[in-house]
Parts: sequence; C-alpha cells; structure tokens
Amino acid sequence: MNAIVQTACKFVTSSIGRKIIVAVTGACLLAFLVGHLIGNLTVYGGREWINNYAFGLHAMPSWVLWSIRLGLLAVALIHVIYTLALQYENRNARRQYEYRNTIQATLSSRTMLVSGCMILCFVLFHLFQFPAQVETLDGRPDCYALIAGAFANPFCSAFYIIAIFCLGCHVCHGVESVMQTAGLSTKKIRPLYKIASWCYAVIVCGAFISIPVSVLLGIISNN
Amino acid sequence: MAKTLNLTLKVWRQESAEAQGRMETYAAKDIPEDASFLEMLDIVNEGLVSEGKEPIAFDHDCREGICGMCSLTINGIPHGPEKKVTTCQLHMRKFKDGDTIWIEPFRAKAFPILRDLMVDRSALDKIIAAGGYISVRTGSAPNANNIPIRKSTSDAAFDAAACIGCGACVASCKNASAMLFTSAKAAHLNLLPQGKPEKNRRVLAMVRQMDALGFGNCTNQYECEAACPKGISVDNIAKLNRDYMAACAAEAVGVY
Repeated sequence: MNAIVQTACKFVTSSIGRKIIVAVTGACLLAFLVGHLIGNLTVYGGREWINNYAFGLHAMPSWVLWSIRLGLLAVALIHVIYTLALQYENRNARRQYEYRNTIQATLSSRTMLVSGCMILCFVLFHLFQFPAQVETLDGRPDCYALIAGAFANPFCSAFYIIAIFCLGCHVCHGVESVMQTAGLSTKKIRPLYKIASWCYAVIVCGAFISIPVSVLLGIISNN
Repeated sequence: MAKTLNLTLKVWRQESAEAQGRMETYAAKDIPEDASFLEMLDIVNEGLVSEGKEPIAFDHDCREGICGMCSLTINGIPHGPEKKVTTCQLHMRKFKDGDTIWIEPFRAKAFPILRDLMVDRSALDKIIAAGGYISVRTGSAPNANNIPIRKSTSDAAFDAAACIGCGACVASCKNASAMLFTSAKAAHLNLLPQGKPEKNRRVLAMVRQMDALGFGNCTNQYECEAACPKGISVDNIAKLNRDYMAACAAEAVGVY
C-alpha cells in the first residue's frame, strides 16, 4: 500500500504526471462541451423543447445533479490549477530571447494561456449571468425567453462570440495535445488528430456561436 | 574569388556566469559566402583580437555536425534558419549581404551561461547518468540477425539514437523542456532487447532527474523537433509519456 501511495505522490508532482492530469481533465471538459452543446441546440426546436430540456435537467435526483456539478467543478479546478502550476515553472525555466522567433509552433499553441484565461473569465460570467436571471413560464423556468432576451443585447452576444472563438482556438491545440500527452500520437496519425482538432473547434464552437447569431438575426426571438 | 558579405552582428556578451549580459553590435566585413557560421565568427574574432579586444567565446569541436558541441541561437532559432543542420554546418550563403544577425546563447535555466555564447549543458549528462545506459555488459556487436528485431523497431531505435545531445530542443522550447532529449535517449535503449529489462527503472530515473534539474514542461508545440539538427521525432515524447505511465503502474505494484 505504501508503495502505491508513494508512486501516486511522485506521479502527481512529476512533469509528465501533471501533464497527463491536465490532458485527462481537458478531455473531460471537451466531452462536457459536446453534451452542453446538444442541450443548447434544443433552442432551435422552439420554446417547448429547450424548456423541457432544462426542466428535465433539474428534475434529476438532486444527488445526481450535484454529483455532476461538483464533478465538473473539480475537473475544471484541477485543469486550471495544474495548468497554472506548470506555466509558472515553464516561465521560470528560461529567460526570453532578445530576438524572438518560432519555427512551427501554431498560434493556437502559443496563446493557450491567454485563451484559457479568457475562457475562465467567460465561464465565471456565464455561471453568474444565466442562473441569476431565470424567468418563469407557467411555474417553470423559461430558458427560451432568457436566451432570446440576453442575446438581443449585442454587447452580450459579442462577448459570447469572442469567448467561444477563444474556446475554439484553445481546443484546436488542446485536442491534439491531449492525444500526444496520453502517448497515443505518432507521426502517421498526427495529421488526423490535427484535422479532428479543427473539426471539433469549427463544429462545436460554430454551433455555440450560431445561437447568439440566430438571436441577432431574429431567427430566435421572444415575439 | 567567392562572393563576400557584409553583415551586422548583434551578439550576446557576458564576461562570466555571474556577470550581467548585454547585446553588442559588431560589423562582420568581407565574409566569404562559403564560410561556415563558426568560421565567420572566427574571422570576426581575429579582427577583435587584432584590435586588442576580447574575442567572442563560443562552443565548438568537430565542426562536422556530429559532436553536438556547437550551439548558438541565431535569429531566435537554435542552430539557425537551415533545417537539420548544426551551427557548424550552416553556411553564410544562407544569409544576404547587409543582413543583421542576432546571435544568442542557448537559453535555459538548466543551461547556465559560462561566458558569452558558451553554456554549461552538463544537465543533459546528468539525465543520462540517471539511467540512460545498460548496467551490464551486453558484449560486442552481435552478428547480424543473432537477435531477431523487427525492422521498424530497429529503425525507430536507430533514429532515436541519432541524437547528438546538443540541447537545441531545450533551447528552442519556450518552456526549456528537455523532453525530446530525454525521450530519445530513453527510447533508443527501451526499444531494443538489450535495454528492455531495465526499461521501467530507466524511464522513472531519467524523468525524475529531468524534473529535478529545473527543465520546463512540454506543451506539445514541437519546436524541438523542428529545431533538432538530427530530426529526432516527437513520437519519442509520446512513447516516453506512455512508458512513464506504465513504469509508474509497475513501480506502484512493485514489479519493475
């Protein structure tokens, strides 16, 4: 037992171990995003659909709901804290060159910290904004009215679109990076991961962005 | 008579490990196009010496691209703009007349600067000393096909073994991570039958030593692979990640 605990402690403090933890939590968040998106897309089915979906979510037994919420919070916290710890070490591992240059590092990979911080700010705002403003319809929360109302404000929509754009940039490097850190990458399959990263970013983020755009275009409206 | 170039050099000068460094500007006049980058510095140094000034200190040895001794970050890229060559094999014909060239040492906390462009890369030796070897004699080179090894495996081991330990991977990485070096040195032994029995111990020892030496953490940008004069693949890093997980599991249950 002692050996297991000792190895586990060494693993979670080692460079590779911590990267694997960041990769696994990142992969969980990628999976969550897909689920969240599928839920959000019910808005295109009309008021009934999304309100039924929201009601269904809240109708789950509270222990299930809270397990998911706390699990997600833990995953997100671990992802952020471990990343910041690794970043702190990385910054201290060398001083900058006077002449800065890169050979093949992508913009997405070079801006992971910035895009990640943007996403974090957005998530905090998002968590505060929507649950705080739920209106009710026939005694049930009216998510449709909430979405149509919030995104009718162009500033709110712009903020969401920029944040989701950052998310797309983040996952572009993230998806491929998860596979490399998990040791599942080789020269032959890497181009496929690159395509998968782009597909994920374009499809998922494009679909998220389509919602505020639809509200601004009047496809989704309270009237 | 070969064409000559007139260049402006911005060079990092630092008297000692403790001294504060700075960029200084030098004119490099009448440099033959056929000169290597190090020969260009030799010419500049001769000029400095004749003027009674301190020459620019830089590392070099074989000047044939195989020893891994030369370093230099040229215009922000270790070993300069040409792919898969060391600084000594970079020739001045790759530059244009009138160019300004920025020359800095390989930068990493784990590679302290000794003087000017010379850095102490013994941290890489310490990673090797931690486990980058086979601890018993495996005899002299065996007859071909005595030990059957799959072609793809022996190719991968050979490609990893091409690492000359110059440290360009560390210098090119924004995090000064030594993952490409460590993974190549671990992989070329781990892949072969002579190295396999000590695979788990080797991986654990080398990764832990690498962490202890203050290298940064890999963020999968693959700058190392692009800067490597021997074209070592980042596939080795993926393999090290895999092997490290397996080694930790083996260590936890005590079968390594």
